[in-house]
Amino acid sequence: MRRYNLFYFIGEALKSLKRNGVMTFASIAVLLSCLLVISGFSLLVLNIDVNLEKLGTLNEIVVFCQPDATEEEIDAVEAAIHKLDNVDTVTHSTKAEQLKQLKEEDPDLYGDITAEENPLSDSFAIKYKDNDKVSTLDYELKQIEGVRKVRNSLDLSNKIEGIKQSIMIVFFWFLAILFVVSIFIIINTIKIAVLNRKKEISIMRYIGATAWFIILPFIFEGIIMGTVAGLASFFIVKFGYSAIVNGAGEDLAMLSFVGFSDISTYVLLGVLAIGILTGVIGSSISLSKYLKD
Amino acid sequence: MIEFRNVKKSYPNGTVALKGVNLHIDDGEFVFIVGHSGAGKSTLMKLLLCEEKATSGNIIVGQYNLTTTPNRRIPHYRRQLGVVFQDFRLLPNMTVYENVAFAMRVVGTPSKMIKRRVPAILNTVNLSDKHSAFPHELSGGEQQRVALARALANNPSVIIADEPTGNIDPQMSLEIMNLLVKINKLGKTVIVVTHEQSLVDYYKQRVIRIQDGLVIDDYVGGMFNETV
Repeated sequence: MRRYNLFYFIGEALKSLKRNGVMTFASIAVLLSCLLVISGFSLLVLNIDVNLEKLGTLNEIVVFCQPDATEEEIDAVEAAIHKLDNVDTVTHSTKAEQLKQLKEEDPDLYGDITAEENPLSDSFAIKYKDNDKVSTLDYELKQIEGVRKVRNSLDLSNKIEGIKQSIMIVFFWFLAILFVVSIFIIINTIKIAVLNRKKEISIMRYIGATAWFIILPFIFEGIIMGTVAGLASFFIVKFGYSAIVNGAGEDLAMLSFVGFSDISTYVLLGVLAIGILTGVIGSSISLSKYLKD
Repeated sequence: MIEFRNVKKSYPNGTVALKGVNLHIDDGEFVFIVGHSGAGKSTLMKLLLCEEKATSGNIIVGQYNLTTTPNRRIPHYRRQLGVVFQDFRLLPNMTVYENVAFAMRVVGTPSKMIKRRVPAILNTVNLSDKHSAFPHELSGGEQQRVALARALANNPSVIIADEPTGNIDPQMSLEIMNLLVKINKLGKTVIVVTHEQSLVDYYKQRVIRIQDGLVIDDYVGGMFNETV
């Protein structure tokens, strides 16, 4: 493409976008909504993933003995735990220690409980070596005589994984619908632009303009709309995400959030790519008949 | 060289517009094409401009056989034609200068060349002083001269004028025709489709008359109503 043509195409595209201001605004607004949903869902899924990983890295299983277990029985449980393959470290916590900790945390509620009344159980916090074999370990621990309960984070992790899958499905359909709507509205915007320039296009054809020369300004219109929507969504996501993370950071201190600066390049490239691609697809569809002849 | 060899054209609605036209126009000729409404003149123009394809027969223009030219080559073919229409077809939001420059930009002429060539062309059609005027500020004759300048912009070998004097007064008509004669003398083939008997009679050039989809008269130096 010659340089003077590139300026001409961009100039024509800008003129046309200005001329059809309302449709241009509508197209950019719909595309912007689409991109905001895409980035919003992507960031949500990314953060769920990070927190799921965090859950995974806890790699701790807690085994509780019977409340009335004797010291021998407790030692037997500990010995049985040590024999298992996937066990890395075992930390014993006696029921007396646990009660003491509870009393320190809330003297009003637990202050009156005596050592004889202590309803808690001795427990073993087990760090395991292999994440993939945790279900087997869980099963083996439950088989040990004298074990009352085995607590692990598998259920929570599975639940969150399930929520993530549901979000992905909703995300996918929502995205598909918004994408189709965006393309549709861009097709209409470009069609109106073509209609406005019908006379000009017919003259261009008589003069000997190639199909590409005629349609490129319209493709540039799509590219410009996509770029504007992409940039706008990037800045909205940037400030919106920071505000949410800062706000939620205090209430949800146990969750970790991905820092925006770590992903800003990907977000920018992503929204620009999707925005421009949508613009180009939309304008190409409405101009397909001009490409044929 | 323009040649029609047994060209037939029928439209999907069953209308047979051309029933086997044969004609030959040499480079540098000045030709009037005359005929009543519905005779087939417009179809002949459309075939020449590649707006329509012939149903059968061959149309040769220079190196192009229009019946076999692929669609992607048509813009390149059209660049060797300069077309003038009855309704001028100027772009209303562009000045005289821009209308002419636009034709050059469309075919990818560099800006430097455009800046050099447009004033020269406007001088040829005596519109140098109107270069920054918009079409609505010009008379019909002046608008047609702009259209003529635009047709000349890319230095085509053939000028096709479809009823060029249909929308302008008789005095301006003469001026436009004189310009076309001047352009013809520069070596370009000029084809004028017209209804205007007085002009055809006055200029005494070759006349091709079409009636009912056939060439019924082809006579050099002919008068409008003269038949062989």
